[in-house]
Amino acid sequence: MPIRNRSAYFFLAPYLLVFATFWLWPIISSFLISFQNTRVNPWKFSASVNWGRLIGDPAFYNALYNTLIILVIQVPVMIALATLMAVLLNSPLLKARPLYRFAFFAPVVVGEVAYAAVFRLMFSIDFGIVNKLITSVGLSPVSWFDNANAAMALVIIAVTWRWAGYNAIILLAGLQSIPDDVYEAATLDKVSKTKQFIHITLPLLKPIILFCVILSVIGTMQLFAEPFLITNRGGPGGGTETLGLLLYRQGFLSLNFGYASAIAYTMAILAITISLLNLWVGREQK
Amino acid sequence: MRFKLIGATAAVALLASGSAFAQSANLTIWSWNVAASALKSTLEGFNKLHPDIKVTVEDLGNQQVFDKMLAACAAGGEGLPDIVTVENFEAEIFWNRFPDCFANLKDLGYTAEIQGKFPDFKRTELEVGDVAYAMPWDSGPVAVFYRRDFYEKAGVDPASIKTWDDFIAAGKKISAANPGVVMAQADFNGDSEWFRMISNEQDCGYFSTDGQNITINQPACVATLEKVKEMKDAGTLTAAIWDEKIQANTAGKAASQMYGGWYEGTVRSGSPDLSGKWGVYMMPSLTPDGPHAANLGGSSLAIAANSANKEAAWTYVDYALGTNEGQVAMLKSFGLVPSLLSAVQDPFVNEAQPYWGGQKVWADILSTLPKIKPSRGTQFQTDADAIYKATQTKYFAGGYPDAKTALDDAAKQIETATGLPIAE
Repeated sequence: MPIRNRSAYFFLAPYLLVFATFWLWPIISSFLISFQNTRVNPWKFSASVNWGRLIGDPAFYNALYNTLIILVIQVPVMIALATLMAVLLNSPLLKARPLYRFAFFAPVVVGEVAYAAVFRLMFSIDFGIVNKLITSVGLSPVSWFDNANAAMALVIIAVTWRWAGYNAIILLAGLQSIPDDVYEAATLDKVSKTKQFIHITLPLLKPIILFCVILSVIGTMQLFAEPFLITNRGGPGGGTETLGLLLYRQGFLSLNFGYASAIAYTMAILAITISLLNLWVGREQK
Repeated sequence: MRFKLIGATAAVALLASGSAFAQSANLTIWSWNVAASALKSTLEGFNKLHPDIKVTVEDLGNQQVFDKMLAACAAGGEGLPDIVTVENFEAEIFWNRFPDCFANLKDLGYTAEIQGKFPDFKRTELEVGDVAYAMPWDSGPVAVFYRRDFYEKAGVDPASIKTWDDFIAAGKKISAANPGVVMAQADFNGDSEWFRMISNEQDCGYFSTDGQNITINQPACVATLEKVKEMKDAGTLTAAIWDEKIQANTAGKAASQMYGGWYEGTVRSGSPDLSGKWGVYMMPSLTPDGPHAANLGGSSLAIAANSANKEAAWTYVDYALGTNEGQVAMLKSFGLVPSLLSAVQDPFVNEAQPYWGGQKVWADILSTLPKIKPSRGTQFQTDADAIYKATQTKYFAGGYPDAKTALDDAAKQIETATGLPIAE
């Protein structure tokens, strides 16, 4: 090794040590643990006990299904909403813009536990304001917490409320990087505002939207706090149990580290696959 | 020679200080909420007998104790306190995964004679083969807590409610006489407590008592699930989580709640203004002459294997849990139901309780202890419970034609998750 490189590694050593101990080793170690039966003492090697169980486990498919449902419904709705919010925020007609920008961003700043508690109160079946509103227009109240579909809708509403503003701010930055003269030229050519949005704004914003989608997909794959806190640990009866919750339950309640590691690897593989798919769909057309 | 002498002196000094250490020690206990407060209420009596043993109770919260114990045991017992509180239904996971983390109480003086002072159903989960990992603390003999005024207004005499069908019929009368009041509430969102209480009453459970077979699809469990759904469909039971039940109690929206006896303290401290309005009666059964007794919840105390003060820790555990004085102090202060059989004879148990309208609630609740059947959590409890809850939700939503099919499916899933066979 040339001397120059050696000193470079010397300076990198503190970081590399921390990386190896707290990142690289756990990644390798959890891979090895996923092939161990961790419910016996001492642990025994068995390739099938965790991976075999994963393939046939209804709880795993339930969690996977729930995660994908959130992914398929929540992410597009939220990104569409965020884009709309960003365009409105960018409008020259808007007054007190910093105030709105802050208001949209504020949910991210609120602590998860606090906002989950408020959501629980708002959606309380007997006393909540949401059911009061629903019944006041003559509909029957919704059992938000003990009907699996309603609980899933609630999780989606909560996650969207929390993250739409955050994505809107990112998209707003993207909007502001689109030069004004493009729009000026289009206006001179008498292109309508809607057409300008579809043919100028969206294509130029595509990389930013893609970035937001990937961030949201990874976030959804790891979704934990909302179903844990709002719908009471993935209730009712696993109706909102995501992969993240299943991993937690197996690892830290059933103390089955091997199975939890297998689930973790599956989650990582899924997230990578979906992200690659995203990049492929959104690639530059040559 | 001189060195040898010094060595010998040092050894003697060490021994001396060792035994002195056992007499005067600083003990730390991890516990939570009411349980931690109850332990503190025993310290005055304990320190009269053992002034040199200082006990510190750390109130960490239920989940935190579980998490910290898990981390500590995974690290070979590093950082554990001398004594830990273990909830019975999650106890077996710890004995199974970390058998070396806790001391065998039999080595410290937990004799067969002392063991005999506790009912069998409390000990099944705490002892593995010849090792006793923990000593039973409180238990949860199930009772129905009810609002006297709501029942009276509907003309319902709680003594006449012998079966669950009586309970459903009474519920209809009570809701009609008291608009906006539900008969009872169950946590259909995140818990399975009604199924666990009634199936235990009917001598059925997720697993057989020896922990070797899956029994969730046995006829008694099927009958239980059918009855729970019947009560849900009849509007006798509405869904509410723990906090919402307390809110309903305080707001006067619920006529009754069913839980382990420890719920006494929750009702009493949660709704102090309703003193005199609450009462207690025995749980109904499937048949009028059924057992009317079940258990829900309860904890135990274990001693860390690497504690430096194991003898002193045992002295405290034996006092707090193994004597009437310790157990009754905790019953009086925070309503923790003693599992020590002799504590049932304490004069306090037979006192009329002013909050409960002068009823001798403890005499009534504790009288069910000898009739309670053992129920085994096993190390697979959290897996089985999650599967049961998913099945229950699906069954309520019409996902199964009948309760038998639902529980057959649950049994099969538990088999996949645990590798245990389904009982014939």
